[in-house]
Amino acid sequence: MEDAMRELSAQELGALCSNLQKACSKQMRSEEAALFGELASFYDQRREALPKAEYRMLLQLINDDLGRAYAEANEQASAVKDRGALRALVWGEKVTKLLKSLLVRYEKQQAGLLENTKVWVCEICGFVYVGEQPPEICPICKVPSFKIHAVQKEAV
Amino acid sequence: MHAARNIALCTKDCVCLFICPTGATDTENGQIDFSKCIDGCRLCVDACPSHALYLVPGTYPQPQPKTEPVKTALLDLAKSKADQMALADQLARESEDPVFRQLCKTVAMSNRILAEDCYREAGYILPQSNAVRQLLKELVQKHEGDDAFPRDAVEALLAKL
Repeated sequence: MEDAMRELSAQELGALCSNLQKACSKQMRSEEAALFGELASFYDQRREALPKAEYRMLLQLINDDLGRAYAEANEQASAVKDRGALRALVWGEKVTKLLKSLLVRYEKQQAGLLENTKVWVCEICGFVYVGEQPPEICPICKVPSFKIHAVQKEAV
Repeated sequence: MHAARNIALCTKDCVCLFICPTGATDTENGQIDFSKCIDGCRLCVDACPSHALYLVPGTYPQPQPKTEPVKTALLDLAKSKADQMALADQLARESEDPVFRQLCKTVAMSNRILAEDCYREAGYILPQSNAVRQLLKELVQKHEGDDAFPRDAVEALLAKL
């Protein structure tokens, strides 16, 4: 870790800090968790908006992850038998495929996709699910369903 | 090492209340009063019939080392996930369609979790690690003269961790 840190954007630092916030909560260190939370919010608010955000850019990024990034990362992690990294890649690739299918379905069905139903996210692995009730156990990371949360539809 | 209670498992058999020599297990919020809990005592942990009590370690070893290529690959993936999170948040903000906003919010939430997991496996798993300390110090330097930066929070973290 002696080498210089790479330049990280506000959104990257926001996620890095919210990860450390969660780690502190799991260690029952609520003060430290709140401090990392403060740092995460600072970076979340510092994000630079794109001049023109478009829906299809999401699919482009996802396709690049699925077509290249996961294969490359898997190769590196396999070469040194880093099973922790391989675990994250297995879960992450599955979740990314589900996100892609969700976005593709939305393109076809539009608002009908989420009409009269709910949408859920697993707080541990990011698993997404459309349906009335989430599965009893997350199919990706196997946590019980109380860690799978409904995403609310809010009025504008 | 003090005790903590997993409230989702607790079946309120109260054995921890009977066995605790200091009353640390008897609180209004269901959690252990860490200031009263005796370091390493574990009487409540062994007595609990529902296995809802466990010991929280006070110190942790440095995480397993990561190779540079693995770290680089995971930081690249984390960047993609963080960019997707920011893009989805922006799309939600700029739309007036409640269903589209709900979809984008879902995508953003999921991507934050994916990015966080990449950072864990890229070497930022433990808040007390050297990697995190170095990161915090570099952030202080990077934001030199930036009044909005929560410098006090970072200094407090460096002192506590």
